[in-house]
Amino acid sequence: MRILLVEDDASLAGALAQMLRAEGHAVDAVSSGEQAVLAARQEPFDLVILDIGLPGIDGFEVLRRLRGGGGTMPVLMLTARDPVEDRVRGLDLGADDYMTKPFAMPELTARVRALVRRSQARAGPRIEHGPLVLDTAARRAFLGGEPLQLAAREWAVLEVLLARVERVVSKEAIIQAVTGWSEELSPNAIEVYVSRLRAKLEPAGIRIRTVRGFGYMLEEYQGG
Amino acid sequence: MPARSLRAQLLRRLLAPVAVLLALGAASAYRLSLAPASDAYDQALADIALALGERIRVASDGYAVDLPAAAERALRTDRYDTIYYQVRAPDGTRIAGDAGLPDPPEGARAQDGVIRYETRYGGELVHVVAMLVPCGGRICTVQVAETGNKRRSLARTILLSSLVPELLLAAAALAMVWFGVKRGLAPLEALSAEIKARSARDLRPVDAGHAPLEARPLVDALNHLLVRVAEAAENQRRFVANAAHQLRTPLAGLQSHTELALAQELPPACRAELEQVHRAAIRTARLANQLLALARAEPGGVSAERFAPLDLRSIVEASADEWVHRSLARGVDLGFELAPAPVRGDALLLREALANLIHNAIEYAGAGARVTVRTGARDGAAVLEVEDDGPGIAPAERERVLERFYRIPGTPGEGSGLGLAIVREIAQAHGAALEVGAGAGGRGCRVVLRFAQA
Repeated sequence: MRILLVEDDASLAGALAQMLRAEGHAVDAVSSGEQAVLAARQEPFDLVILDIGLPGIDGFEVLRRLRGGGGTMPVLMLTARDPVEDRVRGLDLGADDYMTKPFAMPELTARVRALVRRSQARAGPRIEHGPLVLDTAARRAFLGGEPLQLAAREWAVLEVLLARVERVVSKEAIIQAVTGWSEELSPNAIEVYVSRLRAKLEPAGIRIRTVRGFGYMLEEYQGG
Repeated sequence: MPARSLRAQLLRRLLAPVAVLLALGAASAYRLSLAPASDAYDQALADIALALGERIRVASDGYAVDLPAAAERALRTDRYDTIYYQVRAPDGTRIAGDAGLPDPPEGARAQDGVIRYETRYGGELVHVVAMLVPCGGRICTVQVAETGNKRRSLARTILLSSLVPELLLAAAALAMVWFGVKRGLAPLEALSAEIKARSARDLRPVDAGHAPLEARPLVDALNHLLVRVAEAAENQRRFVANAAHQLRTPLAGLQSHTELALAQELPPACRAELEQVHRAAIRTARLANQLLALARAEPGGVSAERFAPLDLRSIVEASADEWVHRSLARGVDLGFELAPAPVRGDALLLREALANLIHNAIEYAGAGARVTVRTGARDGAAVLEVEDDGPGIAPAERERVLERFYRIPGTPGEGSGLGLAIVREIAQAHGAALEVGAGAGGRGCRVVLRFAQA
């Protein structure tokens, strides 16, 4: 993974770069918006980590120029300012996620992993999650190399959860993603599909956590 | 200086001049109307004198007045007063009438042929008209006098009739001052009621619209002061916000570096120290965030005009992911019971309030606890509540925990004591009621925010 890190605070940039490299990523660090725009035009990065408060052109402007040039690379914004206002503005401009400083490293690496996974899912028909592989083009699933039988609704629910690993997904969001215009689906039905998915996936170490009164979360695969 | 009533002052100052004016008015009215009236009475006396003069007969043996007894009775007849007269010959001897009626005082001058004067006669004050009439080529004197009963009664009547309306006028004037001041000051009372009813957060200028012109300088000065207070509060708020914001990036660096260092092989003693540093960094970062939140929730940072219709349920849903992860890390079961709860508010502040409530619940209820976040409409209010089944807060402490930097003695963990103070500021900014109590079955802690339903 090639990551462009745009952060003007040398200390924080150093720590982030070191940590991302330790995770096995290639990191190019720049400290100004102009350098960032230039670098992003020359090299195809898999992810940009972009601080908003930069000398010269700020993070919003960098994002605007990246998206204006047709760039679709995932962007994770870092903000030291009013988190929600920045977030709304950043997401409007096409940021994929944001984090408020200061943050814990594991949180950042989790976000990075999720963003990369999402961009890969967009890029190709194969979704992988530990031993689970979904071939969305052929609509076939494999678990540990073995074909896995999934009903249409189970497939749809799993796809929603896989798109947001380690993120809480509300039942309403699942219903919306799973049902068509004229269909009605009760939250209870979703519970049924999730319990069937659990029965099939948990033996392989893939866990779906229930968030009481809210929804579900497909946990990060911890290894077999 | 003790406060003095404007009304009492005005009345006190008006009373003396009004009394003087009243007296002067009565006196001049009395004099002005008494003179013509006296003239009329004197004229009647002069008529009698004239009639008497015509009755003087000059004979060889001297002067006489030809006055039959009936005529004299008629002449003396008066309902109120006693009438006296005296006719004297040119040599001064009395020809007819009452003896001893005193002569005019020295130097008295005739006017229209008569001399008018007052003197005492028969133990009484009498008004006298003296007239010189020709008699046989010489001059006789006729004096006619009457007692003062009619005149005094007239004087009383005149005095009374002028005094009564003047007294009424004065009373009316004083009453007008009394009620006029009350009326004139009524807008000021309305104004002070408006100011009294305000919360400390409301630093908008006072509406001078209804204030009397004379009170405008006061209202203007007050508004000027309000603007300066608001500016000062705003400056301080901005400073805190800026400082907190400036702290974030270096704190992020500090936190990241300690995390990196902790990921490496370290001698146990060194690791323990570094873990302390790491915890301190996290705590400081949280404190910076909380100061920022507090600055944002303070009066200068919130404007009700920016409030938008929103649903507390959506606010919770938007934050759910973040808090589920934190509660999992702390071994707390975080759950939700969410129903629509429409309010008008600031999404950023409401998220902040929620964050502090959930943070506290997770932090203080401890591992294994069950924390539930609820939203919904209840008894006409939109409600947001966070309940846990931890140790709870003793009733005696429930008020104090809302104070800034207050932590219950002996509380584990490393909180700043700002969380609930922030929640309280945000509740106040939204006009919401904040209630700290026990959870279901008297266990744990439940914090409820009740908003006006939108």
